[in-house]
Amino acid sequence: MSARMPPQRNVVTQSLAQIGACGLFLLTLLAAIPRSFRYLRETIRQLWFVGAMSLTIIMVCGLFVGMVLMLQLYHVLSIFGGTSASGMVVALSVYRELGPVVTALLFAGRAGTSITAEIGLMRATDQIDAMEMMAVDPIAYVATPRFLAGLIAMPLLCCVFCAMAIFGGHLVGVTWLGIDNGTFWANMTAVVDVHTDIVNGVLFKSLAFGAVVSLIAVFQGFTTPPTSEGVAYATTRTVVASSIAILALDFVLTAFLM
Amino acid sequence: MIDPVDTAPADSTLVRIRGLTTVLSGKTIFDALEMDIPRGKVTAIMGPSGTGKTTLLKHITGQMRADAGSIEVDGRRVADLSRQQLYKLREGIGYLFQNSALLTDFSVFENVAFPLRQHTKLPEVLIRNLVLLKLQAVGLRGAAGLMPSELSGGMARRVALARAIVFDPMLILYDEPFVGLDPVALNQVLKLIRTLNQTLGITSVLVAHELEAIKQVADHIFLIANGKVVAQGDPKTIANDGSPWTRQFFGGEADGPVPFQYPAGDYAQALGFAGAAK
Repeated sequence: MSARMPPQRNVVTQSLAQIGACGLFLLTLLAAIPRSFRYLRETIRQLWFVGAMSLTIIMVCGLFVGMVLMLQLYHVLSIFGGTSASGMVVALSVYRELGPVVTALLFAGRAGTSITAEIGLMRATDQIDAMEMMAVDPIAYVATPRFLAGLIAMPLLCCVFCAMAIFGGHLVGVTWLGIDNGTFWANMTAVVDVHTDIVNGVLFKSLAFGAVVSLIAVFQGFTTPPTSEGVAYATTRTVVASSIAILALDFVLTAFLM
Repeated sequence: MIDPVDTAPADSTLVRIRGLTTVLSGKTIFDALEMDIPRGKVTAIMGPSGTGKTTLLKHITGQMRADAGSIEVDGRRVADLSRQQLYKLREGIGYLFQNSALLTDFSVFENVAFPLRQHTKLPEVLIRNLVLLKLQAVGLRGAAGLMPSELSGGMARRVALARAIVFDPMLILYDEPFVGLDPVALNQVLKLIRTLNQTLGITSVLVAHELEAIKQVADHIFLIANGKVVAQGDPKTIANDGSPWTRQFFGGEADGPVPFQYPAGDYAQALGFAGAAK
């Protein structure tokens, strides 16, 4: 082997180095937030791009998740004669776990990948260097607005996902399978707690997931080798790393918030 | 080493490089390089591929830090500048990237207006007039509404040039400005470089390989190889320098101080004829 070859690092060392670099990048991002306030228009543009443009996939997926959940629960609960509780269980499952987790996974696939690919291509075509040369800080102009947009968009998208899932559950449970409409809503409102399920479940978790997915997407974009292969790998890494981070963080948050 | 306080901004040297040493991935790119780039002139930097010409431009703009030595631009030592001071310095430097580096989401007009919008609070009417003025200078006022994807290579290079001169910089760095241009576009860019230098007095530094084009436009040429300046002078004197480097480079010889073969082990051994080599 040639003496010029870089030292080989194993997967664990490489992953730890990436996590460390990502942590340092987060500090740079946070430090750039005050400077990025002057690029408010860019943040709003990104909010439109990662938030509003993700609405369709979030709404459709939310609807089907609610529908299939109700279908499964109805058939299981009917064995014990507890079908009236299915609306309540759909709501708790969606608010506490499925809403934030599935929204974050969809967000990583839809918005995270596009953020990584866009920044990666900007690097490959020297646009980031051109900004540096025009005395425009690319962290404040490119990275932070996308990070903030992801942070703001995720809780909003999660709320839309949850609403559509409940609607899907109602559609199947009440309209199709014949559960009483009053029972469906009454059981749900009696059990769902605003603090535990909405604030901790929907808002807090989705905010944390939004931060993680946006950070990974922006970090991968900024650190990708400026080649077409590098951008392709970075996009894949965004989805893989985000998915693992979302599920691992979900376990940790659930353990602390329960 | 030169003390920055000794250097008055009105110095005839705009960029002063002393003892510049850079090592990248174990390879020495610059070995105590010394260079003075005169103010108000067109200076060309030439040399074999991979010799670090673009790296040198990145050192001048502070995008890359050197391992040793100093670079002064307009009397300011680049390595000593804070981030804000560096950005302030860059406002006075235009940089033309090899692939133009236009912002692909913005139109031609918005690309040229971008630095003005970021660094000034000028009224929209004034920004519009300034942008049209610069686009007129590069002959592309009529293309203001086009997107970068709709431009040819030569047009994109000229838009990037309009963007680079929007603040009337003291220094423009051109990284391979002639690559991939047809003769018409090449002459247009050439004419622009000369016009900008003569009318606005902008100091220009060109990194390029096109000998004929450089002979037409450059006042001074530096030939760098092996991390050092191996020859310098005006286009006529450097062409007749007679050193092996200039002979090979200006004569376009395939072999010479720049070897045809990339350094490798024994050829016969590589082909499995180890016995024959003995």
